[in-house]
Amino acid sequence: MKPALVVALALTTALSTSLTAARPVSYTGAWTLIAESDRQWTGALLHYTPSPKWSLGVRGEINRDHDYAIYSLHPTVLAKRWFGSNYQGNFYLHGGVGQASGVNGNPLGSQFAAFGGVMADWETRSLFVGYRSRYTDAGHFGDQFMQVLRAGFAPYEGDSGDLHTWLMLELDHRSSDPDSVTATPLVRLFKGQLLLELGYNLTVNQPLMNFTYRF
Amino acid sequence: MKRIQIACFVAASLMAGPIAASQEEHSHDGHHDAITEHAQMSHEHSDAAGHEQDAHDHSSHDSRAQDPSEDAHAAASAVTLTRTSEIDAALALGGEPVVADVMGVVCDFCALAMNKIFSKRDEVAAVYVDLDTKALSLVFVPGTSLSDDTIAELAVQAGYRIAAIRRGDAALGSAI
Repeated sequence: MKPALVVALALTTALSTSLTAARPVSYTGAWTLIAESDRQWTGALLHYTPSPKWSLGVRGEINRDHDYAIYSLHPTVLAKRWFGSNYQGNFYLHGGVGQASGVNGNPLGSQFAAFGGVMADWETRSLFVGYRSRYTDAGHFGDQFMQVLRAGFAPYEGDSGDLHTWLMLELDHRSSDPDSVTATPLVRLFKGQLLLELGYNLTVNQPLMNFTYRF
Repeated sequence: MKRIQIACFVAASLMAGPIAASQEEHSHDGHHDAITEHAQMSHEHSDAAGHEQDAHDHSSHDSRAQDPSEDAHAAASAVTLTRTSEIDAALALGGEPVVADVMGVVCDFCALAMNKIFSKRDEVAAVYVDLDTKALSLVFVPGTSLSDDTIAELAVQAGYRIAAIRRGDAALGSAI
């Protein structure tokens, strides 16, 4: 895929769209570009994997509801991976430290910000279950705890290089929001180095679009 | 106070990684031993779950290895080299074929990682990861090769684990 097309897709995703990182730690020496958006946050993450145990990235994200952005260093640690002949399970710890700043006319000044949480997934070639949580403290911009549960299946099993398709349902819980629990059906497509997720949050009528490119 | 809690969490996360990593590397070491045993004994298994057990219980592995009927059954069901045009071309040049059973390869990103890591090696003329059989097929440049331990280490760099390795006729399925 041409680099310009990849950048265009990433920007399109970041401007329209969730905090879902498929394989947040990659193989040794890999770079990964992730653009993601959910019902409240829109962000992008570029990370490098120096070892299959951890990655380090730079993340920028905007809270569209409260008009502030967080720019952070984002390490992710693969704390444990379970292998089987037909399955794989992963448990990750992730976090970040950086700065929160007002955007879109928000007069509040910059503030130290940090976040942390866990991610876990288990998948076979045709079944997937995943969970992630994150607590964010952005000082005077506020704090938030969110957690997301996902389950899905692949209607067919593609081989290496094929187009892989998954149908998933995402349940999102944010206790501080008026709509604390929302549901988003989505389709995940990936082929080669590219992953794209398209969905629609039925509770709050917001699109979901995630994009991952590995190189 | 919350910020302090987050800072502690992030610090604990970063410390937990190397600890977990070292524990897993230790288990990989044990697995390398298992692979080496397989190579030395020149027999094949395709039951990766059995190999996972082998990595932790070598005495059990040894006793099974001495049962000729189980060996014959395992050899008959072992995964062989996946034939692609690139693999066939490399074979035609006289390269050594190798098949490795890989644990946890369930998605195309997994296959991509293995392809990227092994393709970087000058010794590798052709590589293919078959998600159906969970097998890594390699053909080396004629006159070159990679040891079982090196193949296992490269798989670890990709984030996965090798359960068994077969070479030559065993990889082609013509050793039975």
